[in-house]
Amino acid sequence: MVKLCVLIAAVSLLPILCLSFSPDNPTDRRVLVLLDDLSLKSSHSIFFNSIKSRGFDVDFKLADDPKLSLQRYGQYLYDALILFSPSTDRFGGSLDLAGVLDFVDSGHDLILAADESASDLIRNIATECGVDFDEDSSAIVIDHKSYAVSETEGDHTLIVSDDFIQSDVILGSTKVEAPVLYKGIAHSVNAANSLVLKVLSASPSAYSANPSSKLSSPPLLSGSAISLVSVVQARNNARITITGSLDMFSNRLLRSGVQKAGDSNKYSKSGNEQFVTELSRWVFHERGHLKAVNLRHHKVGETDEPAIYRINDDLEFSVEIYEWSGKSWEPYVTNDVQVQFYMMSPYVLKTLSTDQKGLYHTSFKVPDVYGVFQFKVEYQRLGYTALSLSKQIPVRPFRHNEYERFIPTAFPYYGASFTTMAGFFIFSIVYLYNK
Amino acid sequence: MARSLAGFLVLILAISICDAASIFQPISDSHRSAALDLFKPVDGSFASLEETYEALRTFEILGINKKPDVSTATCGTVSKALSSSSSTPKDLFDALRVNSILKCKINAEVFEGIISKLQAAVSGASSLHDFYYSIGSLGLIKDQTSKADLHLSDAEGIFRSIKALSQSDGRWRYSSNNPESSTIAAGVALETLAGVVSLASSEVDQSMIGIVQNDIMKLFDSIEKYDDGAFYFDEKVVNVHEHSGPLSTSSSVVRGLTAFTTVATGSLNLPGDKILGLAKFFLGIGIPGDSKDFFNQIDSLAFLESNRVSIPLILSLPSTVVSLTKKENLMVKVNTVLGSKAPPLTVKLVRAYSTSSKDTSIIENKELSFDPERVVYFLDALPDSVDVGSYIFVFKVVLHDSERKDVYVTGTLTHVQIFLTGHVKIGNAEIAVLDNDLGTIETQRKLDLAGENAVSLSANHLQKLHLSFQLTTPRGSAFKPHQAFLKLRHETKVEHVFLVGNSGKKFEITLDFLGLVEKLFYLSGKYDIQLTVGDAVMENSLLSEIGYVELDLPEAPEKAPRPPPQAVDPYSRYGPKAEISHIFRAPEKRPPKELSFTFLGLILLPFIGFLIGLLRLGVNLKNFPTSSVPATFAILFHVGIAAVLLLYVLFWLKLDLFTTLKTLSFLGVFLMFVGHRILSHLASASSKLKSG
Repeated sequence: MVKLCVLIAAVSLLPILCLSFSPDNPTDRRVLVLLDDLSLKSSHSIFFNSIKSRGFDVDFKLADDPKLSLQRYGQYLYDALILFSPSTDRFGGSLDLAGVLDFVDSGHDLILAADESASDLIRNIATECGVDFDEDSSAIVIDHKSYAVSETEGDHTLIVSDDFIQSDVILGSTKVEAPVLYKGIAHSVNAANSLVLKVLSASPSAYSANPSSKLSSPPLLSGSAISLVSVVQARNNARITITGSLDMFSNRLLRSGVQKAGDSNKYSKSGNEQFVTELSRWVFHERGHLKAVNLRHHKVGETDEPAIYRINDDLEFSVEIYEWSGKSWEPYVTNDVQVQFYMMSPYVLKTLSTDQKGLYHTSFKVPDVYGVFQFKVEYQRLGYTALSLSKQIPVRPFRHNEYERFIPTAFPYYGASFTTMAGFFIFSIVYLYNK
Repeated sequence: MARSLAGFLVLILAISICDAASIFQPISDSHRSAALDLFKPVDGSFASLEETYEALRTFEILGINKKPDVSTATCGTVSKALSSSSSTPKDLFDALRVNSILKCKINAEVFEGIISKLQAAVSGASSLHDFYYSIGSLGLIKDQTSKADLHLSDAEGIFRSIKALSQSDGRWRYSSNNPESSTIAAGVALETLAGVVSLASSEVDQSMIGIVQNDIMKLFDSIEKYDDGAFYFDEKVVNVHEHSGPLSTSSSVVRGLTAFTTVATGSLNLPGDKILGLAKFFLGIGIPGDSKDFFNQIDSLAFLESNRVSIPLILSLPSTVVSLTKKENLMVKVNTVLGSKAPPLTVKLVRAYSTSSKDTSIIENKELSFDPERVVYFLDALPDSVDVGSYIFVFKVVLHDSERKDVYVTGTLTHVQIFLTGHVKIGNAEIAVLDNDLGTIETQRKLDLAGENAVSLSANHLQKLHLSFQLTTPRGSAFKPHQAFLKLRHETKVEHVFLVGNSGKKFEITLDFLGLVEKLFYLSGKYDIQLTVGDAVMENSLLSEIGYVELDLPEAPEKAPRPPPQAVDPYSRYGPKAEISHIFRAPEKRPPKELSFTFLGLILLPFIGFLIGLLRLGVNLKNFPTSSVPATFAILFHVGIAAVLLLYVLFWLKLDLFTTLKTLSFLGVFLMFVGHRILSHLASASSKLKSG
């Protein structure tokens, strides 16, 4: 009976499991959006519609929904979480700070947007991800040099920025032409955390302060140290986007035109839509997710993989790398994939050549040091998921009969022995039978 | 619920941040383009008749001419819905609503059939929605067919049965067996009652209308308010249903209210500021991204614009940032909510005061001039005493025609935050290095902060760096910007920000390096100097790289704080690594082959000499045994020796040690046997010779 129940449960869960995030199909499928207020659904509808139109199953919930839960029976119900609930002090249901962090730690993705009303909970989530929002809760980003020219907003808190990270994988191959409108709070990235990247930085003249009160001490954050949008790619390839502006995703700023102060270029549409759409594609693993398969090696002239190499053997190495395009695995073409022949430290580190179809190959001579080596492909590039493959292979020295046998230099010695032997043979006959 | 209200508040505050002085812009062209984006028909028609109505109604209100043509496909759906016998009152209602806009050709018999069906539905109705759809449909038929004789037989009875669902606080229940009362239902009920009144064959009892009007007043007691003057209705019961937010609730009430006031004869004394507040609420939402919300917003605003009780007028400013330097005029627009022209009126500036000092007014009681061409009211010129800064302007709208005062509501006073900006003069900028003890100037440079500067200074920890400049507003008074930072950036990208303080007109900062060595982490070297001066009202905010100062600081003591770690450049962190190739052990050095072969030849010489020596000595083999048995043994003995020697050659050429030793052991035994035989034979032969 129990078995039957388990079977039924397994069968009924099967379609859910098949649809969800998996190594073969790394794009997220089910997205949970937590809101302070359901009206955000309408005021940020362009962003949500672009996610829905890409085939995501978007579930909207209030952040204090008492039935809120990310997992059931140890299985996560969602692949990605969008926290558009800056003022939430406590999540409803069983979700808490640790719950969100566990969600990320198990390889799921997160988009977090805060604003001036950011609560301690939201700030703590950001801090755990390596991003520190300005401690002064009344401070917002002000920029008197690169603000958006606006008829109705005169306090220069609606700023523009076009200081993007130079990465096609994070922001798409089409350049974001128009600057991005931003209105919100500043954050800085933890310098000790190498996984956090500033995607959008403020201009050198920006600072984070309360616009309505006089400054009594220098601002904690100023200039290009202010990050407006940051991303984290964790070691388990979970991706996180953190920004201090919820308005950045709003229909109002997505539709709005933009003109930077002191710049005669007027764009009819801000770069926000392209920016947030491309960023969400990256976060949801629709781009920049790599896989490496068919790691192969063999001696030159052979095709089978040997169990062991001898020192000074010539070998050929190949690996195939593919990038997930959101729908299928496409060959990944680049020229900087490297292989290491590694024992404690790399003995050989060689850049692989590619056939432009995803196959990377090279050949090299096994070093004249024996021991247990590894073929290592460690590929870490800005914005791409990290590839780390290794395959162990022992290397042995020459066997006794594999050394050189007839060394010309030794011929005088051989000659001496053999003439002595011949002499002995003749001498023994002569000595015995001479009369 | 409080949370969701707070969220809405944040949203509205985000749209216009200054809470005391929000401006609400009337519906404009951005709404029109958004409407075309939101309502997009698929294959020439919308998903449902309800959606079709919402789209068509929105287009109609906004006056969009380039709307998608859906009439052919939709008219077919409408007539099918009307003639189908299985249509519910709601289907009929939606179809008739669409028809009221599209004006499809529908047979008169079809209407006859529906009328009797609906009449029956009205008399058998029990829930509010049944009443609403059937009475609404009948009303729509009356409008569309100009049937003057279409009446409800028992209007008063129906009126009473609907009224029976009302609650004491002005809200309504959906049906008699559902105890939960709702604000949306109140709006629906009011709309239904309006329908009943207009369909009644005789005048409905005035006292009953009076009771309903009383209910409306009670309903308005439950209205809620935002800080910025917007009023809205909300459901008291928390219900995470799709469309039951403040927008749909307020929208339902507005629809019911305007419908009821249109038919009811008695006057209703609704407070004008609440009607205006409702209008502000709908406008404050901005452009919703949801088609249902969009329709609710536009439809409600249209009802507010055309209602009989009070039409809200919205005071808006095309621009709240006014440049003093460019001599821009402050302009004010007064429109209805949908952006159409307001009746003749005067806009008065009651007073204006600085945000920092609320008590002193800079302007009082000034009337704005009217520009009929652009339909704007403008302030001719600001008095000379008005300087750059942020101000609150308080406006009042006064209607010319005193009779229309009852029709239009304008609100009492409108507070608007205005930024008066200007070009701030920067002068007397200089930077100097001072000696600590005496304060004598060692090096001093003049700066042109608006232009390029490349100052190079050097100082040690006993000296001071002094920077000073003056800021003057266009009106000649001292200006204090919000942002006046001096930034020192070390080569290692460690940054230090200092606030530049002011004393009167002059801004100055003195950096005493002796007191700062700890803060500078004892880092000697080149520091770039950057000055940022900026303010919201300063048109020429500047970020100027002044140059650098070469600092010579003492060595850091052991316990000195370390500079914070700087972020690694992400581009360099991820590049490919340098290639490594293994360096193989070099092969041993060997002499050339020729030399080896020469020595091989030399090695052979003694052997040849030995052979020649033997021949010279004249060796013979006369001692070889003559008898056959010893001769055989002798031959075998020497063959054995040759075999052993050959074995050695083979060992060298190809055999391994084990094969060689095995063979050698057999050969050895054989050799010993034959050797013993031949040697003993030779020994006995020689002893015989000696003795003999």
